[in-house]
Order: sequence, then C-alpha cells, then structure tokens
Amino acid sequence: MIKIEIQNATLGYGDIDVVKEVALAAKPGEMIGLVGPNGSGKSTIIKSLSRIITPHSGRVLVNGRDIGTIPRRELSLMVGVVPQTPLLPSAYTAFEIVLMGRSPHLGLFQYESKHDLEITWWAMERTSTQHLADRRVGELSGGEIQSVIIARVLAQETEIVLLDEPTANLDIGRQIEVLNLIKGLCRQENKLTAVVALHDLNLASHYCDRLVLIHNGQIHAEGRPAAVITAENIEEVYGSGSYVHTHPLSGLPAVLPRVDYTKK
Amino acid sequence: MASAMLFPRRRGRVYAIAILAGVLLAVGAFAASVGSVDIPLGTTLAILISKLPFINIEPTWTESFEIIVVDIRLPRVILAGVVGAALAVAGAAYQALFRNPLAEPYLIGAAQGAALGAVIGFLLPIGVTGLGYGVVPILAFIGALLSIFIVYNIARVGRLLPVTTLILAGVALSALLMAIVSYLLTIAGDSVHGIIFWLIGSFSLSKWSEVAVALPVVLFGVGVIMIYARSLNLIQLGEEQAQQLGINTERMKIILLTAATLITAAAVSFVGIIGFVGIIIPHAVRLIWGPDHRFLLPLSILVGAIFLILADILARTVNAPTEVPIGVITALTGVPFFLYLLRRRTRILN
Repeated sequence: MIKIEIQNATLGYGDIDVVKEVALAAKPGEMIGLVGPNGSGKSTIIKSLSRIITPHSGRVLVNGRDIGTIPRRELSLMVGVVPQTPLLPSAYTAFEIVLMGRSPHLGLFQYESKHDLEITWWAMERTSTQHLADRRVGELSGGEIQSVIIARVLAQETEIVLLDEPTANLDIGRQIEVLNLIKGLCRQENKLTAVVALHDLNLASHYCDRLVLIHNGQIHAEGRPAAVITAENIEEVYGSGSYVHTHPLSGLPAVLPRVDYTKK
Repeated sequence: MASAMLFPRRRGRVYAIAILAGVLLAVGAFAASVGSVDIPLGTTLAILISKLPFINIEPTWTESFEIIVVDIRLPRVILAGVVGAALAVAGAAYQALFRNPLAEPYLIGAAQGAALGAVIGFLLPIGVTGLGYGVVPILAFIGALLSIFIVYNIARVGRLLPVTTLILAGVALSALLMAIVSYLLTIAGDSVHGIIFWLIGSFSLSKWSEVAVALPVVLFGVGVIMIYARSLNLIQLGEEQAQQLGINTERMKIILLTAATLITAAAVSFVGIIGFVGIIIPHAVRLIWGPDHRFLLPLSILVGAIFLILADILARTVNAPTEVPIGVITALTGVPFFLYLLRRRTRILN
C-alpha cells in the first residue's frame, strides 16, 4: 500500500504562498475530501501531491520518500491525477486519450499490448464512456471529457488518485455515478486512495470518509463530515448565506441556502 | 474483444508506411532518370541496381549515362529526400512541442536564423579553406537555436504559446535576420553570387560529399525525435498532464527542440531556405492518418521526402534549362495550404 502525506508544507507559485504550514496524510483506502471556498488552495494541494509544484518549505512524502526525488515515470505509476477542467487535443479520439493512461506502464519503443487495450476498455466500461471511444474529443461535451479523463486515470492503475473538481461539469446523475465509482474502488479491499477537491459540500459530506476544510490557506477544520460541516464552521468560512442541517435519510450534514434576499 | 476492434487504423497505418516506402524508391528512381539528358527509366534502374553490393550487371549503357545518374542526379535526389524528411519531421516536432499547428522552421525564424549563421560561415575566411562544410553547418545550428530561443520567449504568454504571437514574433525576427543577411551580402564582395544562389534554395550544387554530412546528422536528429514519439502525444495534453503521466517535460523540450533545430540547420546549410514543407506535410499526414506521433513521424518522413523530390523534379524541368528555385515551388503549394489552416484555426478560436 502506498502512503502519501504532506508534512508542514507551505505551498504556492513563484513568491506567493497560497497554503501555509499544512499537514495532511491519506490512509490507504481512504477517500479524503478537500473543501473550501474558491481560491482557498485546494488545487494547490493537489498539484503539490503530484509534483507539479515543489513546496516552499516542508515536505511531501510518498511512501516516506520525498516526492521531489521520485522520477516522474515512477511517480506516475503510483499517483494518478484528474485535473480541473482539462484541455484535450481535439484531434485525438476518446479511446486514444484513455489509452494514454497506459503510457507509464510502457517501455521506450513498446506499443500497447492486448492487455493494455483490455484495461483501457475496462476503464471506459466503468465510466460509461465506451460509446465515445472513436469520437474525437473536440466533439465531446465538458461532462463527457471529464468522464474520459476519469477513465484515463483508471487505466493508469495507480493506487492513489487525486481528483480536482471531478464533478464540476457533470449533471447530478453523472456526479453520483462518478463518485460512486471512486468510492467503490476505495472500498474494494482498500484498493484505491482518493484525494478529491470538491466544491459541492453535500457531495463531499456524503461520499468522503474524511474532510479537510481549507480557508485562507490554512486548515480550518478536519475530520469526519459531521465534525467539519457544522453551522459554525460553514458560517466562518463561507459567510452567513447558508444553513446546515442533517440529511433525514443519511444522517449526514447537508448545506442549503438560507433564502433571504432582503437582507444585505 | 471490442477494444481490438478500435485499432484497425493501426494496421492501416503500418500498410501506409510500407506502401509509401515503395513509392519513395520509385519516385527516387524516376527523379534520377529525368533531366536535361533523358535517360530511359529502365537504364536508370539498371545503373542504380548495378551499384548495389553483390550485384553484377553487364553495362549496356555509356559511361556518361552512369556519371549523370550516379554522380550528378543521385546525390541530388537523395539530398532532396533527406531535406524533405528533415523539414517535415522538424515541423511536426515544433508543432507538437509548441502545441501550435502553425509552428514550422520557416515561419518561426529557425530557417532564417540558420541562414544568417550559414552566411556568416560562408564569409568567414576559415569557411573557404580546407575545412569545407565544417563551420557553415555549426554556425547555422547556433543561429537557428538562438532564433528559436528568442521567438519562443517573446511569443510566450505565461505557459501558453498562442498562434498569433508565435507567428508575429517569427515574422518580425525573420525580417530582422534577413535584413542582416542582406547587409552582409552587400559587403560580401566576390562570393555574393554563390551565396544568393544558395540562399533562395536549390539542389543544383548537390554532391555526394554533402549527402555524407547531411544524411548522418538528419538520421541522428530524426532518431532522437522518434524516441519521443509517444511522449509527443502526451505533451498534447499540456505540460501538467504530461508530467502527471510520467513525462519529464523540461528535459524532453530541451532535447527535442535541439534535435529539431539541428536537422533544420543541416537542411538549410546545404540547400538554403525552403519554406512550408514543415507545415504542409505533417498537416496532410495528420488529416489522413490521424494525430498519433508514432505514425505521424515516420509517415511525415516518407511523404516529406517524396514531396521534395517531386518538387525538385518540377524545379529543374518546368523552365529547363533554367532552374526554378525550389523554395518557389514549395511556397506556391504551401502558402494556400497555410492560409487555409490559419483561416480554419481562427474560426475555431472565435
């Protein structure tokens, strides 16, 4: 099992610190949700966990090794990423894009074997994207592209998957489908560890084992959804425009707007 | 298995490579038979085959025919093929690395940078002496590398390289470089005629000694680019996604830009500036056989070589005995294609 953790790291771009002194460790088989307002640093954390940015201070460790010392190819066999609003080269077919997930597994001049093609097809099956296989990605909708990228990360067969807003362009049906899939893969003999940045607090509360609420570049609260999504925390981080109640069926916290357009 | 059904295109592209390799040989043989002295295709073939190792054919042809085919036309045909392949692959590599469909040695100033370097090489006293080709290709390479570096850094907006800024920076730098070339020509004195003739692009001076230098350099550069064929597909996803799929993008960019610029410089050093090959060929190949660089690159090599050999046949027959500069032929076919791409591209962007 692969462990990934952030040890008291300050993260950012250039001279600017976005996230200060955060610590975070994902347990194998866990689905962790990163929540917080726009610009709070969710994507920055995802980028540091995939070595797109190096910490200004502190460390990011994969299996106890500093992530900066792990060659990219080796890292890409352990950590897969679904980026936020990915841009795809429009001339490639969806199948070719998903097949790119197999690249870390291939040698220099090696072509995809039957085994690679089968895994690719399995990944498209799991994400209901088979019917898109020979369509060019330039013709696909935002939601379809999102699903194709999720298929690609499945084809990559990594134990850790980082997802940055994987449900942003999806309708509620597809959102549930995607999160069910990821949750299911985490549950299967602890197969997958997922770190998911989510805007939707209700989805985060219902799918994640643990939530990390980020505010102004720091961890505001961390723990089980019921402990993080409280009326107090939500008001402190998001303002007073919403209220928190307990979902009658799941018993988990849910956030709804407080409709009052007369008050400022 | 349904997934296996999705890959019939792969087999088709393998056949295409085999067929085009045959076409290349046929076009090459044809090119060696046409010219100011007409040598029948059969005789040309017999002469060429007799030169292969372990084959003995009783000559039925005059010695002058053999000299024309083997010493005059063959190096020219091979050099045209090598240069066509080099420019096509360099174009494909620039387009992939910059993720910009209009990146091309001629349009981004690499060819002009090479030309300036080469002209300086011609004018330096050491270039004329026994060193021969030594200094010209090296200075051409340095010139091309510097122009790529300048254009890339001027055109870059953050991590993106927009079509418009790339073309504008390329055109502006090319204008500057060619102005310097013109100035150097005015002070060049006696050697100016030869340099101008070389500059506008021609294969008429091709010799085996040039093939012997150009061929290994181009083979080496193309080989390096081919190693990265799959990585070139991944980098189309953008640098972040490519890194997340295991590519060391910084190292890859440096190696591939150097390799593409090296083969551009080799091509320019020996035949002058030939524009638009690097844009017509990869795009035509992409339209027919798709964007996968593992096929795009070898197919571009073959189609580029065939294209430039054919263009050279036109160049020396259309107005015979006067030769039309080959850059004129490639521009006449390339510019309409380029404008079509530019138009289509801007429509997509809007």
